[in-house]
Amino acid sequence: MLIRPVAEDFRVIGFYMGRIFLVVAAASLLPLAWAGIAREWNPFGSFLVMSGVFALLGVIGVRLAPKESELDWSHGMVVVALTWLIVPMIGAIPLLLSGHFGRPLDALFDAVSGLTTTGLSLLSDVDHLASSLNFWRHFLQFLGGQGIILAALTIFAGTGGITLYFGEARDERILPSVTSTARFIWAVSVVHLIFGVTALGLVGWLVLGFELDRSIFHGLMIFFAGFDTGGFSPQSTSIGYYHSAIFEGVTALLMVAGAMSFGLHYAMWRGPRRSVFANLETRTILSTFGFTMVLTIVGLAATGLFVNVAGLTRQGFFQILSAHTGTGFSTVPSAELAKWGGLAFGGMAIAMALGGMGSSTAGGVKSLRIGLTIKAVVNQVRQVLLPEHALVGTAYQQSGRKHLTPALVQSVMIISLLYVALYLLGAGIGLAYGIPLQESLFESVSASANVGLSVGVTDPSMPILLELTYMVQMWAGRLEFVAVFSLLGFVYAWVRGK
Amino acid sequence: MRTLVRITFLANVLLFIPAPASAAEEVSVTEILELGAELAGEEITVEGELVGDYGFRDDGSMWTQLNGDVYVHQPLREGSQAVGANIGIAVRVPVELAEDLDPPGGYRNRGPVVRVTGIWNYHDSTRPGESYLEVQSLTVTEPGRQLNEEVNWTALILGALLLAGAGVVALLTRSED
Repeated sequence: MLIRPVAEDFRVIGFYMGRIFLVVAAASLLPLAWAGIAREWNPFGSFLVMSGVFALLGVIGVRLAPKESELDWSHGMVVVALTWLIVPMIGAIPLLLSGHFGRPLDALFDAVSGLTTTGLSLLSDVDHLASSLNFWRHFLQFLGGQGIILAALTIFAGTGGITLYFGEARDERILPSVTSTARFIWAVSVVHLIFGVTALGLVGWLVLGFELDRSIFHGLMIFFAGFDTGGFSPQSTSIGYYHSAIFEGVTALLMVAGAMSFGLHYAMWRGPRRSVFANLETRTILSTFGFTMVLTIVGLAATGLFVNVAGLTRQGFFQILSAHTGTGFSTVPSAELAKWGGLAFGGMAIAMALGGMGSSTAGGVKSLRIGLTIKAVVNQVRQVLLPEHALVGTAYQQSGRKHLTPALVQSVMIISLLYVALYLLGAGIGLAYGIPLQESLFESVSASANVGLSVGVTDPSMPILLELTYMVQMWAGRLEFVAVFSLLGFVYAWVRGK
Repeated sequence: MRTLVRITFLANVLLFIPAPASAAEEVSVTEILELGAELAGEEITVEGELVGDYGFRDDGSMWTQLNGDVYVHQPLREGSQAVGANIGIAVRVPVELAEDLDPPGGYRNRGPVVRVTGIWNYHDSTRPGESYLEVQSLTVTEPGRQLNEEVNWTALILGALLLAGAGVVALLTRSED
């Protein structure tokens, strides 16, 4: 029998959401300050509205429930799913008021895309966008990549911290407590921020010949979007704007760091470093990256678009790395990407669908699930081939020796199948609107796996239903389904429960 | 006979001197992006707004972006409809042609609109895989200008009220505790 949620359930959910809104309200003071310092008064007003809404909702939420309320598993999941819906709604206010969107839904699309670190965009004329709004778009990706819940957990954990932590699609707790894990993740990010912005800023200033302030601006924006595998860029031509192999190299390092699980970062920081390469996930991602890279480069060579090997390798490598890490940066225009048929298209689509590592800022099915699926299949085949009573080893290396249990295999298979279903859903709706199969599938995978590469389907003139579908795909893909289904179950119980 | 020799000589000279800039094929930025490979190595003329940054590099060139979209002649902040993304290509301009340009387009200003002629390098082999226009001549057709920013007073007042409201609710409920 379904039990209808009572007022106390809503109060608990409201209380924790209120806390998170207060943290986001504090974070939203950064773009407000940026707009003030840059004397961009129009965006300043819109950031003031956004901060005000976050603060008001936060205060109301926190005062709704008694402080001793405990957050159980289902409440935590609902908090996570709702937070990831409401934060982009409020976060879209400055974008909407900027005048750079044709319809309000488009501004919401960009906010969802930003927060889920997807990078698809319906923003018009980004080349004339205010710097503070550009900062907000990229900062949204940073918040989303790190995890807005994680940001809140760094400040408060409370009794429900662990539920919230896992609800935001994180598989492992690196340190004993959630708060210390959250702080470690922020420490890793801050170190990369310092390295990334310094390196990109220096390249911009010394090699590309930009003015110093603009170099730092570009460095900061590309860091946010690169390390958090988001893919927004301050100029319309993405990384192609910089026309620099060195700039692309530093960006590639940031993308790789962003697609690595924070558990792996921990192993690299604290050692032993040998364990990094013993991990099933590391071996899987290196194998799939190599495989999709070969597919793409052979496919690109067949198109005849590139006249020499150096150009082919440089462009192919960057695009496939961007796709596999789920970043979505590009050095070629969408119009050209759409012409990459055959193997190159296949390589890119597979790389996007597979995604980066678990507990990272990347999206997609994730390498650990791929590795475990392959291992389960191999074990099954070996079991069939060996004598009846022979025992097949189920151990694998992943931050230590672990065992592949039937329950784990089932969980991995279910999530992987849900991703495939999500990819097909968007592709099917695209096809229904008359968009060719290749383009429909590419864009759908890009949205669901939070990549952001586009072959031109994502456009202000796109059908509203398709736009809504991509938004749902980005949301469900980022949260890896569990929190989303919990919210749907909660709503169903509220309507039909007794 | 002498006249005939002169005419033949003149014809040969005319045959081998480089074609003037006006002979270049006139294309739009959209056409360049769509026909990228077909225009490879061709001399083309294109018009658009310079946006972003002027990157003056050590090799005596300046890199920037040339946009050829609807926002060039009617920026969003001057009433244009938001109809989609920018359409731009990279241009590499000799420093001597780039010295007196107005600031590039951005939030505060519409960049200079220029008419440039040059060679379209599509996935250039000397700069592995990059595509850009190697500019040979540049004419400013419209100088850059400032874009006015209108302050949204409604948003400012509403935002201040919302923040004040949050403060009041916090204070009131604190006193209840």
